[in-house]
Formats: sequence, C-alpha cells, structure tokens
Amino acid sequence: MKAYVDTFGVVAQIALRNLFASTWKTLIVGGIIGFGAFLVVLGTSLLDSVDESMSRSIIGSVAGDVQVYSSRSTEDLDVMGGFSFDANAIEPLPDFAQVRTSVESVANVASVVPMGINNSLVVSGNTVDQALERLRALVTARAQQAPRPAGDAGYTAAKGHVRQIITVLSGDIANVRQLQDEKSLALEDLSSVTRAASDEFWSGFDADPLNALEFLENRIAPLATDADMLFLRYIGTDPSAFAQAFDRMTVVLGEPIPEGQRGFMFSNYVYEEQVKLKTARGLDKIRDARNNRGAKIATDPDLKRLVHEASTQVKELLLQLDAPKTELFRSKLQGYLASSESGVGKLLESFLSMTDENFDERYAYFYRELAPSLELYRVRIGDPLTIKAFTRSGYVQSANLKVYGTFSFKGLEKSPQAGSLNMMDLVSFRELYGFMTEDRQREIALLRASSGAQDVNRENAESELFGAAPAAPAPTANPAGGSPADAHLPRDSDFGEALASLAGSRRGDNDAGSGYDAAQLRQGVILNAAVLLKDDGQIDETIAAIEAAGQRDGLPLKAISWQKAAGLVGQFTVLMRVVLYTAVLIIFVVALVIINNALVMATLERVREIGTLRAVGAQRRFVLAMLVFESIVVGLSFGAVGALLGGALVALLGKIGIPAVNDVFMFFFSGPRLYPALGTQNLVIALVVVLIVSVASSIYPAWIAMRISPREAMQSED
Amino acid sequence: MQAIVSIQNATKDYHLGKVVVPALRGVSLDVMQGDFLSIAGPSGSGKTTLLNLIGCVDTPSAGTVEVAGRNTALLSERELTSLRLHTIGFIFQSFNLVGVLDVYRNVELPLLLQGTLSGAERKQRVSALLDRVGLQEHARHRPNELSGGQRQRVAIARALVTRPRLVLADEPTANLDSVTGQNILDLMKELNRTEKTTFIFSTHDARVMAHATSLVRLADGKLAERANAPSAAELAEVAEHAPDARAGAAS
Repeated sequence: MKAYVDTFGVVAQIALRNLFASTWKTLIVGGIIGFGAFLVVLGTSLLDSVDESMSRSIIGSVAGDVQVYSSRSTEDLDVMGGFSFDANAIEPLPDFAQVRTSVESVANVASVVPMGINNSLVVSGNTVDQALERLRALVTARAQQAPRPAGDAGYTAAKGHVRQIITVLSGDIANVRQLQDEKSLALEDLSSVTRAASDEFWSGFDADPLNALEFLENRIAPLATDADMLFLRYIGTDPSAFAQAFDRMTVVLGEPIPEGQRGFMFSNYVYEEQVKLKTARGLDKIRDARNNRGAKIATDPDLKRLVHEASTQVKELLLQLDAPKTELFRSKLQGYLASSESGVGKLLESFLSMTDENFDERYAYFYRELAPSLELYRVRIGDPLTIKAFTRSGYVQSANLKVYGTFSFKGLEKSPQAGSLNMMDLVSFRELYGFMTEDRQREIALLRASSGAQDVNRENAESELFGAAPAAPAPTANPAGGSPADAHLPRDSDFGEALASLAGSRRGDNDAGSGYDAAQLRQGVILNAAVLLKDDGQIDETIAAIEAAGQRDGLPLKAISWQKAAGLVGQFTVLMRVVLYTAVLIIFVVALVIINNALVMATLERVREIGTLRAVGAQRRFVLAMLVFESIVVGLSFGAVGALLGGALVALLGKIGIPAVNDVFMFFFSGPRLYPALGTQNLVIALVVVLIVSVASSIYPAWIAMRISPREAMQSED
Repeated sequence: MQAIVSIQNATKDYHLGKVVVPALRGVSLDVMQGDFLSIAGPSGSGKTTLLNLIGCVDTPSAGTVEVAGRNTALLSERELTSLRLHTIGFIFQSFNLVGVLDVYRNVELPLLLQGTLSGAERKQRVSALLDRVGLQEHARHRPNELSGGQRQRVAIARALVTRPRLVLADEPTANLDSVTGQNILDLMKELNRTEKTTFIFSTHDARVMAHATSLVRLADGKLAERANAPSAAELAEVAEHAPDARAGAAS
C-alpha cells in the first residue's frame, strides 16, 4: 500500500513538474478548460434561473401547475398559444363539477380553476359611431321633451362634432382619391360625404333628425377608418376562483368582475397597448424608453418613428374634438407654442414633433392640459363591450359585457405573453363558444315553438332563417360550419344555435350587468382547468394520479404540466438549453481537439523521457497514469478557477440583477430583473464536464505515449 | 560461473516499409556473471541491436535470448518490463535522466517503480550510492545543473540502485571528454569488482575496450570475434577505426 502511495507520489511529481516545465501548453489547455467551465456554470445557472422564474410566470399567470383538458381533443392545449391556437381543437368537458370532484380526489391538488380560452374580434367603438350615438340620444331626448330649437348647447355641440368629423373624413377621402385609382372608391361614397358635409344637409337636420341620423349612420360611419379591430384573446373562468388561485393577479383599473355577474376585464397590457389612444400610447412608450433605457429620440430609430407617427397621425385626436374642444385646443396650443397658426391639426403636428429637449415638458403638458378633453381609451372602464366570436360551428355569437376593469400579474406588468389574455366570466364564455345555458335553451324552445320552424335542416337553414326572420337586427349567421365532432355537445342542432345567435343579438343589450346563478360556475361545460398543487415538486406523479382518477371516474381527462400547457413559450428554456449545450459541446469539441493536439505534441517532445522510464522498468500503466494525471490536474485546477469565476459572476448578477431588455424578457425573467442563483449542481456539472473533457482529450496522447518503445531511450541524441 | 546472458543463434530483422533490414544474422553468445564485457564493432554492425536484445527492450526475430535464465521471446510486455526493472540497470550514451526530477529522485526512481523498499531503506540506498559516485552534495540539483560526467554518474547510480545482476551501457563515454570518460570507466570497473555486477557495454573507444575483461566484435550483424582480453594489435586497429565510427553514430 505504502509502495502504491510512493509510486503515485512519483507519478504526481513527474506529472506536476512537467506541467510547470511546459507552461505554454498548460496555460493554453487550462485556459480553454477554464473558459469552458466558466461558460457551463454561467450558462446553466442563468438557464436554471430563467426556467425557475419563467415557471413562476407561467404557473402564476394562467397555467397553474397542471392543466387538465379532454383527452379527446385533436390538438394539444396551449394556454399561451396566441392566435394560432385553435380553441375548437379542444374538446369540451361537459361537466366541471365531475372534473373537479375527480381531480380534487388527488391528494396533492390544492385547487381547480375552470377555464376556457378563445379568441374574438372586437370592433372598438369608433369615434363616428360614438358621436352619432351621442347625437341620437340627444335627438331622442329632444323628441320626448318639448322641443327647444334654440339654446341647446349640448345638442349644437354634438352636431358640430359630427360635422367636424365629416370634414376630416372628406379630406381623407380626397386624399385617398388622389393616391388610389378613383375606380376603387365608389362614387356613391364620395357623393355621400359631399352631401353630409354640405350646409344644406345640416340646415335641414333639425327638420328630420332621425332620417338624417340614419343616413349618417348607414352611409358615413362605415367610411370612418379609425374603427380598429381588436383581436382579443380571453379566458373564460370563475373570476373569484381565478383571483384566489393566481394571487399574482392584481386589479389595475376599476374593480374585479363581481361574483355572479357577467363581465369583462381587460388585461392591462392589452388595454394600454391596443385600447389606448395611439398618440398617448406612443408618448408613453417614448417616455419609458427615455427613462428606463436612456434612449434618445435623436438617436433611437424606434423613438424617431414614434415621434413621427404621433406628429403625422393627429386625425385620431381631431376626430374627438367638437367645436368647443377645437377652440380650447387652438387657444391652448397657440399659447403654448407661441404660434399664430389657426389650424388645430397643424398646431397638434407641431406640438407633437417633440425632441429630446422639450419631450418631458410637452409630455407633462399633454397629460395635464390636453388629455382631460380626450377619450384616452377607446373603451372606457364601466362601458359595455360587444364581443363577437365564432362558435364552434361557425355562427357568430355576440355578448355585451360590462368592462369592469383591467388586471395584470405582479412582476409581469409589461410582458406581452402574460398580458395577452383578457378575462370574462365562464357563463358568457360558454355562450360565445356556442354552449347554451338553460335559459337560452328555453328561449330557443319558445322561439321555435312560436316560429314553427323546427323541421329545418342545415342544408336550407340559410334561406329558412332569413326567410323566417327578415326583420332581425343583424343576424350575422354563417351556416357553413358545423363539424361531425359537434355530435356529443349539449346543444340541439346548428339551427338551434343559429336561433340562439339571433336571440343573443336581440337581448344583447341586456347582457351587461345581468347576473347568473353561481351554480353555473361550479358545473357545466369547460374547455380546460388549471390545477394548483400543494407540492409543485411532484408534478409528474400528480399528473399520473389525475389521469388515473379521470379513468376511474370515466372522464376523458388529460393532464399536462404547465411547461407543456404553455406550448412554445414553455419550451423556451428547453430550446435555450439545447442551444447552450450545443454551444458548450462545440466549445468542448474544439477544446478537445486543441488539448489533444497540445498533448500529442508534448508527448512527442517527451519520447526519450518516456522511453527511458519504460527502459528503466516503468510499466505502460505508469505512463498512462502519468499523462491522465496531468490532464486531470490541469482540468480540475483550471476548471475550478473557471467555475469559481463563473460562480462569482452569477453571484454578482444575483445581487445587481440582469435587466430585462424588453417586454419578452420580462416574462422570462418574471419581472423587470433576473436575479440568478448559483446552485451546487451548476458547479458539479461544470467540473464533471471538464473532467470528462480532460480525460477524453488525453486518451489519444496517452495511447501514443504507451506505445513508445523503451528502445527510444537507446537512440542517441544526434 | 553461471551465464547471466545466453544467446543462441539470435537474428533480428527490422522492417522499413517492405524492405527487410537484417540487423543481426545469427549471434550466439554467453555472458558470465561478473563479466566486464565490451561489444565492439563499426556503425551498423548490430551493437545496439544486440544490447536491445540483452536489455529486454526488444526480442529476437529468431533464435533465443535468455536473460537471468528466462527466454525473452516467451515473456509478455509486462514481464519484460518487470525483468528490466528487477534484473537490469541501464546506462545511456545521452544519460537520459528525467529532467524534471532532481538527482536524488532520479536515482530513487527505479526503487519507486519496484515499490518494495520502505522510504528509509530507499533513502539509505540512494545516499550510499550518491556517496559512491561522489554526488551527495548535488542530491537536490536538477540534471541540467550538472556537467556531463556528473550526469553520467547519476545515471550509473540510477542503474545500480536496484542492485541489478546486469548493467548495460550503450557507449557510456561517447558524450564525455577522455578524462571524464576514464573516471566513469574506473567507477564502473570498481563496481564490477566490488559488487560483482555484470557490465556489458558497447563502445568504439579502444581505451574503453582496454578495461574489458572480455570482448566481442560484431561485423555485419555477426559475431566476428570473441576474446577474453583484447590484444594490443586489436586495440591499435580499433583505435584506427574509431574516428569514422564516431561519425557514424548509432549502429
């Protein structure tokens, strides 16, 4: 034993001295190894941290630890899926009560939140519509009261506003006619606008206001292009259960959807990004970039573009200004800009052409002086919002829901991924999705009975439908859909659904604020459900248990981890890991080649020494041990230095944090900064990898060295 | 007296690509325990090949080489190495010390490889040998801090530290000046006398041959002559050949 120790001593001694004797080789090899270890520690630590924080983002924002949906679905559930995700591919689960009982029988389950995710198109109130609506209300009010032709300032202002809008519109249309071929613009439109802008039209308005309004609503309003389509993704859920389960959720504006009430909440991100007045949003973005990133309008192309957009797209503001507001803006801006320009459009353009020098001042002025006269958001909190969605079989279903407020998730306020989902109550969701409530079914039965149209089949549904209900307000029915998969859905037929659609539009105005029985949240159809666990370290076991429970209870339950449920987003770290490991692999393969070459050269330089050792009586394994020992010593010592440096950097970053450079990173970092933590496993992985590489790279040189014949010792030097 | 080396009709062919180069063409030789044998011959005569066979760093293509009673052709690589470690000491023309180890460690190295002696025993033996070759004071020096003669004395100490029965020296004085060479030879001769160690060395140098108790001469891979002690005429002849032999280097 002692002899072995001594032999090892001499091996170590020769090996170590050789390392010091050939410094260049040692430094090159060690440097590469150290760099590799540094990279592995840094990379794996960062990835682990991103993984960890992203899992918090995903779990905490909508996914929960586990998602449950029907195993009969034709696609995988993807709660972060964006618009590519087809909600129709998810087969509904008919009764949440059963699902809940089944899932909650698993010991590790803390809570189950019912869900459904879908997309819809919302035509946000455009300015013309709103102005006309206001005018119509006033006209109606006047008609009911004693007519007061003069001295009605509000009425005159409303008329003035509409007229102002038409002036802006006619200018637009003239522009478009110049830019495009006249053919593409119907002459009818042109003549409509000309008529609406004419003095005759307005002087005759009071005589027959309803007819004039109808003309404006039907002919002019559709021409206004400022009506933006909002594509909204929304989740239908039990709002209070959701808020309880996802405690990162906070209400930013307004209030949460009250229990038992139909309602809608915007994601604050969507509300800011898509609903807010573009000019104001642009100014906000510029301010954020200047304050957070230190960006300059003069140098940053994005900011330059935003300023350009704000200053050239003042129409959005102009449309909102009625006569008194126009006058107000003119006097304020003239004063502020010390200008004698009388066109408010020109004044706004000049005001919004901001530079780094005057931005802060003008930003403050905008919000202090101008914004109070503007509708900053196209949908106001408290207003009803009409949401139209295609049902599974293709009919358009709509719901008018009160917008109660906006919400965001703590730390993810600016993340588009976490902020893409808006929320509504599950009952409204089911209707939009095409499921029928008992109320609705009863109503349809009544309708059917009264119309006597129960024998209509799908092929001639269209003619029957339009024939039967010619006076329906706007039955945007589309009978093209309807898939065989609908068969086991709790609804009567496509025709029934079309009727439901009809019924919905009829009573649409009543949706907002109307309540429902709380039991409807506890049972009934859902698409998926988020499951929160007591111990999130046992996801895989719990998933198996949930699926087993589903099988036991005869439910087609499929359970997936949050990572899978988040689709591509969830796979992000997996992807990054692949990228990192590929990079590390390449580095180490290169390192292996370089180290190998260095060692081969070093071995060839030592042919005589090794030959002598062999001649004197050293066995081959002694030579092998010597070379491998050298490699391990270099690998471990330099690897340790590299790993420590990497660990130190991670620790430093853990203190100061890595700022999220954009909104996407906010999501991955689960907040504005990532504070990476160093795990023991990161160091261990690095050292193991380094060890493997050093040993692997010494295999070939060691093989050469072992084959050196003791005869080499006999060759003379010259 | 007992033969420590017994060679029967040994041949050795080297293959250079497809060309077969015969280095030894049937040599038979017995070396007795305690011999101080000189192998002479011009370059290419097979001196080094013969030493390689005797030193167990190579095995014959045909014929037998027995060292310490063991037929080297029948031994594995490991056994050959072990035989070298325990039975044979080597002295090289270029000394071949391990550059990164000091004098003491270089001498101790074979003992460490043997792994049979304790630290104290090793120290005693190494010290005694360093005394013997007059390098006790240089024990902690590195080889590159020593002169050629000193290095060769370290090499001799290393060759003898395991108390081998046989020491092989390949032109041990070729890289030394004549005075130093003479000292080295004296040292070897003395060790041969006191320790009864068998020495076999190759040389071109007539003065070196003069110390040999017996001499074999190789020519074209064959044993040309075997004598117990070289005659004066032989010495003269060898001396005459010496310069061009040196120029020819390895044989």
